[in-house]
Amino acid sequence: MRSGCRLINCAQLQLICIVWLFAAVAPNPARAQNLHPKITSKQVTIRNVVLLPAKVEIVRDSMKGPEGMAAESDALSARVSQLITEVLAAKHITALAMAPASAETDSQQKYTVADIQSRYDELLPKIAKKKKDVKQGRFSMGDEVLNLNLDKNADAIVFVRGHGQKLTSGKKTYVLLVGGKPAYLQLTIGIVDAHTGEVLVYTDSLTAGDATSPDPKRVRKGIEKSLKKLPGVS
Amino acid sequence: MKQLIARSRMHLRRHKDFSKRIVFRSIGREPWLPPLTYQNKRRPVKRRAVFLACDHCDLSLAHCACRTGKPLLPYERHHLYYRPSEIFTSLNLVPSCIEMSGFMKASNFRLVIIAALVLCLTAPICGLPAVAEKQEPAVAQSPPQNPSGSQSPANEEFKFGKADLQLLDQVNLLDQRFEREGLVLENTATNAYLKRIGEILVPRGLQLEHVVWKFRALRDPVPNAFALPNGSVYVTTGLLALMDNESEVAAVLAHELTHVLRRHSYLENRNSRKKLLTLNVIELVGALTPISGVGAAVEIIAAISPFLIQAMIFGYSRELEKEADLKGVELMVNAEYPPEEMVQALKLLSNDIEGEQIRLFYNDHPALQDRIKYVTAYLGSNAIKVTAAMELNREKNAYFARAESIMRHDIQLAINAARFRSAFYVSQRLVEFRPNSSENVFWLAESYRTLGPRSPQLTDKELTNSAKKDAAKKREKRTPEEEERDLLAGEAGQQTWKTNQQKAEELYLRALQLDTPFPAAHRGLGMLYEKLGRRNEALSEYEKYLEVAPAAIDHERIQRRLEALRRS
Repeated sequence: MRSGCRLINCAQLQLICIVWLFAAVAPNPARAQNLHPKITSKQVTIRNVVLLPAKVEIVRDSMKGPEGMAAESDALSARVSQLITEVLAAKHITALAMAPASAETDSQQKYTVADIQSRYDELLPKIAKKKKDVKQGRFSMGDEVLNLNLDKNADAIVFVRGHGQKLTSGKKTYVLLVGGKPAYLQLTIGIVDAHTGEVLVYTDSLTAGDATSPDPKRVRKGIEKSLKKLPGVS
Repeated sequence: MKQLIARSRMHLRRHKDFSKRIVFRSIGREPWLPPLTYQNKRRPVKRRAVFLACDHCDLSLAHCACRTGKPLLPYERHHLYYRPSEIFTSLNLVPSCIEMSGFMKASNFRLVIIAALVLCLTAPICGLPAVAEKQEPAVAQSPPQNPSGSQSPANEEFKFGKADLQLLDQVNLLDQRFEREGLVLENTATNAYLKRIGEILVPRGLQLEHVVWKFRALRDPVPNAFALPNGSVYVTTGLLALMDNESEVAAVLAHELTHVLRRHSYLENRNSRKKLLTLNVIELVGALTPISGVGAAVEIIAAISPFLIQAMIFGYSRELEKEADLKGVELMVNAEYPPEEMVQALKLLSNDIEGEQIRLFYNDHPALQDRIKYVTAYLGSNAIKVTAAMELNREKNAYFARAESIMRHDIQLAINAARFRSAFYVSQRLVEFRPNSSENVFWLAESYRTLGPRSPQLTDKELTNSAKKDAAKKREKRTPEEEERDLLAGEAGQQTWKTNQQKAEELYLRALQLDTPFPAAHRGLGMLYEKLGRRNEALSEYEKYLEVAPAAIDHERIQRRLEALRRS
């Protein structure tokens, strides 16, 4: 009977090692940053934003398939929102809080936020398909965004979506030998005009590694890079 | 009592066609009658006797019609539905003419009993599984084998493993998330209504580990329902808006309840985990085997195994869905809901308003047409509606009166989600129900306005599978505004747009006639005139809206539109 080591020839092993090293060492690639012409021409300056609750889903991928990580996803969503606030603050863009809802209007407020979030979710695949069209000002959510009744000073609304995976040790070995997606976190940030609903900024970033690790350095770096082109307030 | 049973026996013999459901009408309760005892599933059940009259003839007969301690007609129903086999069982009658199961013939009933006894005695010796004690229901087609092999409505022997408990934790968190994110409809009356139907359907006294029943409506215009394994059952507003009566909602809930009772989510999770592990192992072996001889064969197997395993996972899921449909029918019968409404509910769901039901090579649910076929076959001739038209109308009216506010809420959700045809369909149903309701007329006007250049119904050509696929691809690429622009470029689109806007205007004005002041109608008219380029009229309508609804949630939105119009 042949041993497992003899089944892989030397060239294959070298290739696997190179790919693995590249994936581990490569810097976090910040991908497309698409800005509306109103932003590039400085017709609109974003000073104050309101962050809607981020929706980041992360799964644990094992040899038996993916398993949900609802608690970790909620924690990560909160952490990502916090990191975006910090990154924007570094650009002197203030993140405003949502207007506190009274007990009577609580469910109505919840519904409005949910409706706007689902409206964005419906637009998102179209944006993701033709990201560059953001530069032509093609996408808009309509003036329904005004129904959120945000702070009068709010210039834009920030939508954050993300998904990622964490690998079990068994799956890590499998990925190393067979191939497949390593642990990653993909974030998309959409910044929408708070008055007209136009999509002003759309960026996505891909961070390699375990996003649930306590050190958010990598995720922060990814967010910083993805918002690099967004002009700050001088 | 003896006389009564004798009369019942005579009466039931007269109706030899027992495949037809006999409808009994309650005519009173006789407290002096002793409770009748019969074996229901696993335990003896005592039910108080009542007098019933058969609709086929005027003969009365005694029958246990109410659950102990509950009112006589607990669900505001004036007819009670029982399968013939249940009537006989409850009356302790075994007439020679009844067909107790698919294979049991009247003439050889005793012979079958003897044969069954012999089989029971010899089975342990021959190594055959013991024959279940429960009698098969009197249906045209014997029920299919369920994957877990048990006939009980609940899978009570289910043992929780680590993976099952992990799944349970996840769904508990998911439940909380639905509430937190405003996806659950916070309408006490609607949720109480769903809870009432759900509790009628859940077998009495049944306690399942890690199950807390919750029945709630979900704010989603897509017709759907689902159950989480922790006992949370969700029905979307889109589905509630499509249904015609309470029994159809009960059919949907019965299907979902079966998923929880039979622990389908856990079984499916276990099944897919096993299969994915197999797949990964095959792929691992395929990757590590050198490409020569056996290696090539392993490579081929590894290449095709993902498709096979995916098909197997979906196949298992379809089996569970089928079981949920058929067991759901039984739950409905036990809860005294007419089981044929399951077929009716499936027919309503198969009404493809948005042209989204695309036939795929394999799917996790059986096709709706197949589901209609096998549930119809399962029910036999009972699938044909026998309830009187008058009662059907009464049921429909009662349901619409309850669901009216949900339907309006759903229209708004459908418009937001660019499901304009669904919005139109639901609003039309509302107007048919109450044509003089200003709100219903207003929602129909809104639906016409937002339809724009789209036709209210899809044509036969648009409903072909290839056309649906093309439309789905376009939906992925185009925004609703771009779709409108493309349609308006054609003459047909322009004509439809004109017709729709004209109808919308008429309906808005009618809504204002029916109820003044009606702020939302002014807003709708304003938006319509703005789109039609009738600036002054738009200005006037927006001003009226802001005047009559100063605290409206969209006050700022309309104010900005007004200002923009003034500037133009």
